[in-house]
Amino acid sequence: MQNVREVVENLYWVGANDHRTHLFENIHPIPEGVSYNSYLLLDEKTVLFDTVDWSVCQQFLDNIEYVLDGRPLDYMIINHMEPDHAACLNEVLLRHPETTVISTEKGFYFMTQFNFQVEKKLQVATGDTFSSGKHNFAFVEIPMVHWPEPMVTLDTTNGVLFSADAFGSFKALDGKLFADEVDWDRDWLEPGRRYYTNIVGKYGPHVQAVLKVAADLPIKVICPLHGLVWRKDLGYILDKYDKWSSYTPEKVGVMISYASMYGHTEEVAQLLASEIVKRGETELSVFDVSNTHKSYLISEAFRLSHLVLACPTYNLGVYPPMKEFIADMQALNLQNRTFGLIENGTWAPSSGALMREMIDEMREMYYVDAEATIVSALNHNTRPDIEAMADAIVESMRKQK
Amino acid sequence: MQYQTTEAQEKLRQEVREFAESEIKPLAFQWDQENEFPREIVKALGERGWMGAPFSEEEGGSGLGMIGYSIIVEELSRVDAGVGVIVSAHTSLGSWPIAHFGTPEQKEKYLRPLAQGKHIGAFGLTEEHAGSDASGTETTAVLEGDHYILNGGKIFITNGSQADTYVIFAVTSPEKGNHGISAFIVEAGWEGFTYPTVYNKLGIRSSATAELSFKNVKVPKENLLGKEGEGFKIAMMTLDGGRVGIGSQALGIAQGAYEAALNYSRDRVQFGEPIAVNQGVSFKLADMATEIDSARLLIYRAAEMKDSGQRYTKEAAMAKMFASDVAVKVADEALQIHGGNGFIKGFDVERFYRDAKITQIYEGTNEILRVVIGSQIIGKRKKRAKAVAEVQGKAGSQTGPRKNILFEGSPEEQVDQLVAALKADGYAFDFAVDKDAPISEVERLVSAGQGIGSEENMKLIRDLAEVMGAAVSSSRPVAENLRYLPLDRYVGMSGQKFNGNLYVACGISGAGQHLKGIKQVTTIVAINNDPDAPIFLNADYGIVGDVNVILPLLTKALTTDEPRKEAPDFTKMKKSVPQDPKTRTGVYVCSGCAYEYDPSVGDPDSGIMPGLPFDQLPAGYQCPRCGDPKDGFIPAEQ
Repeated sequence: MQNVREVVENLYWVGANDHRTHLFENIHPIPEGVSYNSYLLLDEKTVLFDTVDWSVCQQFLDNIEYVLDGRPLDYMIINHMEPDHAACLNEVLLRHPETTVISTEKGFYFMTQFNFQVEKKLQVATGDTFSSGKHNFAFVEIPMVHWPEPMVTLDTTNGVLFSADAFGSFKALDGKLFADEVDWDRDWLEPGRRYYTNIVGKYGPHVQAVLKVAADLPIKVICPLHGLVWRKDLGYILDKYDKWSSYTPEKVGVMISYASMYGHTEEVAQLLASEIVKRGETELSVFDVSNTHKSYLISEAFRLSHLVLACPTYNLGVYPPMKEFIADMQALNLQNRTFGLIENGTWAPSSGALMREMIDEMREMYYVDAEATIVSALNHNTRPDIEAMADAIVESMRKQK
Repeated sequence: MQYQTTEAQEKLRQEVREFAESEIKPLAFQWDQENEFPREIVKALGERGWMGAPFSEEEGGSGLGMIGYSIIVEELSRVDAGVGVIVSAHTSLGSWPIAHFGTPEQKEKYLRPLAQGKHIGAFGLTEEHAGSDASGTETTAVLEGDHYILNGGKIFITNGSQADTYVIFAVTSPEKGNHGISAFIVEAGWEGFTYPTVYNKLGIRSSATAELSFKNVKVPKENLLGKEGEGFKIAMMTLDGGRVGIGSQALGIAQGAYEAALNYSRDRVQFGEPIAVNQGVSFKLADMATEIDSARLLIYRAAEMKDSGQRYTKEAAMAKMFASDVAVKVADEALQIHGGNGFIKGFDVERFYRDAKITQIYEGTNEILRVVIGSQIIGKRKKRAKAVAEVQGKAGSQTGPRKNILFEGSPEEQVDQLVAALKADGYAFDFAVDKDAPISEVERLVSAGQGIGSEENMKLIRDLAEVMGAAVSSSRPVAENLRYLPLDRYVGMSGQKFNGNLYVACGISGAGQHLKGIKQVTTIVAINNDPDAPIFLNADYGIVGDVNVILPLLTKALTTDEPRKEAPDFTKMKKSVPQDPKTRTGVYVCSGCAYEYDPSVGDPDSGIMPGLPFDQLPAGYQCPRCGDPKDGFIPAEQ
């Protein structure tokens, strides 16, 4: 049965929510689910904007048939070919052979690669326009946000932007549709950040390029492919995107990430946390990298300015979960952060230098003026080193405020 | 692929063969002996359309294709390999790059007379320091107004001194290596363009080979062939075609030698019958015939691939390499079959024997061709990883991250800067310690290496230690070999480990075992007269200079009238954490896959050395990961 909502006049959300998929892209946990958004416009011609993931195809098909109410589907615009949005393309075409598919050159290449047979094609590029009757559309390609092929489609008649994966979020809609229907900061900022940083984080320069183009467009409503539709306070979400994509921390604060085999490195991390808070800096979080999924760690690393990594030496290398965390930072292009490094080891502590080697591969990475080596467990000789590190971190944080 | 030539091609072969037999053969021995260039013959070849075989009739050529061209070179070389190479170098090397890369104006002005055989063409790439490795090219072309000014020289240039136009390769952007080479069309007779040497060669003596010299030769801007920086590409593509020509020349030599041996062995009677029926001789002839046919098929395959626009680098290299090896072997065996007669001047086989050798050498030695073939079938080696590592400084410091500050200026200025830097780091120089105190108990050491020189110079070390509040120590050789200090005072992996604050290495080069002894030191100062000494990479502060000069200056700079205090308690100073952030500046990101081009790394897999800014990448540069074009990249700094 249909479950649709009106976005603006004649434009309907025909997507669906998914709580049964546990891992987005089969990597990232989504305990609060995710939505796959698709939109259908009833103009002189009918236009569908993207499809949905295979997991919710039935609901989606019910939705579009209900909204179409017997009308033909004239056009289907594929802004983004990734299968969580385009998987149902063929299902739609089987039911609506009359439909002309509109996409970019690379979009059509990828359709072929995914074995979709599309007969009626209209290939568009940046600068092209299209009319469905009363509504006119302009297309802007947004390469590498976060695939090479996507575009956004702007309805120049009413300012609705179909933004592909840009401005998307984890978390199912669960009845809501608009950002102004929820307590966004409380309930949606974290899943939104975790989505952006893990899915799109690597592509900051390309997102920045898109933001520059968007600044000159008359955008009134943003319709992303996941998460909430924005029709108020667009500046708020645009500012978040500007920060994330320029690798600017949202807050001056410190994230202490530790790995601990028997609790000794954890003890050090906890001492450091206390020492920093005692010095008056409370924007601080502590994570055990062994039991926190990397996507949460990455999200927090994009949020804060200072990152402390405390890590045992393992097989003469960096303890694997910590190594994976740093490798993820590398992969996602994290930049412009200040690190404090604490190494531990019982016979050849060397994880500090090795972590530094990995961090030095990234761009614009700095260090607080302290580093510490723990030999097995904290003692009266090394405790001052941790206090010195707290001093150095606080000093560096205050400089960045 | 066709395995047999067409009727028209065989008719062409017949025509060329008749011409060669009647016009060239009678004079070939004379040209060989006299080192004489057969100008009249070249003119006659041109009139028959054989100097422009692969070029279209619109371009002035005869449209015979690469196989037609190959047949012409083979048949001429079958009689006289010198004439063969005149045509080959003229066509493949002197004319083809203009046909392929020239502007319509260049083609009209230069290609037409070449293809018609009215002009002779040549190609100048090889230099004294650039042969197989074009990146060693030293001839330069500097743009000044409407002209490039060409300076330098070329060696071993076929048709040199006889040609009318030359395709010359010169460096226009020295910093770009192979990508900084450009091609130019240069006319004979231009002021400053001379032939200092016409070589006296072992073989192919009817062809001319000369040294070219360019002294401030003015080359009009419009004679740049292709774009600036495309020279290496032009040269490599040209040589691919040249290899079909040289393969055909080698094939002709082999064919001529084989036929001579076959005829001789049929005529020569020993033990009552022609030696050809002797199994030992017949086997040689059978091998020759088989190998010659194999070479011919390889050459025609490469020729056909070129004509149909396929990539044929590997096939051309295989054809030339194999055919030239066959030519040398066949000429050798053919001479052997001739016995003593073959060793006497006047027998064609003696000339073939001398002519064959060059085919293994020019247009890519057969060793380089094996490299070419290998790279085509195995893939490119990750070259220059070492150069990249060097530029990135991955060699690294064995004493952990260091400041690596090298002072500049006069010795006095360097010493003053050092003192200021140490004071800024929190070092005071107002106390003295026992200069022979145990190394584990002192905060500072002044240490002597073999660079200290004679034993009396140890006084310089002790004087400096006095004013620095340091004890003295040394490297292992100074203690163990020179015995300037007791064995318990040398620092290193096998000696004393120094964990104090300040270590001043005087005349110490920085052997690995020594550096392991000072890894934990807070501040390392190096004074050494060799700027390449490893100690500098492992030091915070360095002065390049003679210890005999620097140490007294440093001692003087730290000397005060105040009485020296008792040494304070030794507290380990905090080693400051060095910052060395990689920058985004200059980095460009591909819009097809987000690959990042970082000029500090270059793109070694694509042959781009570190240091080349993005905007100077060659025009045809493509993303090494997804193949998107260069113009899709955006700056990482938005």
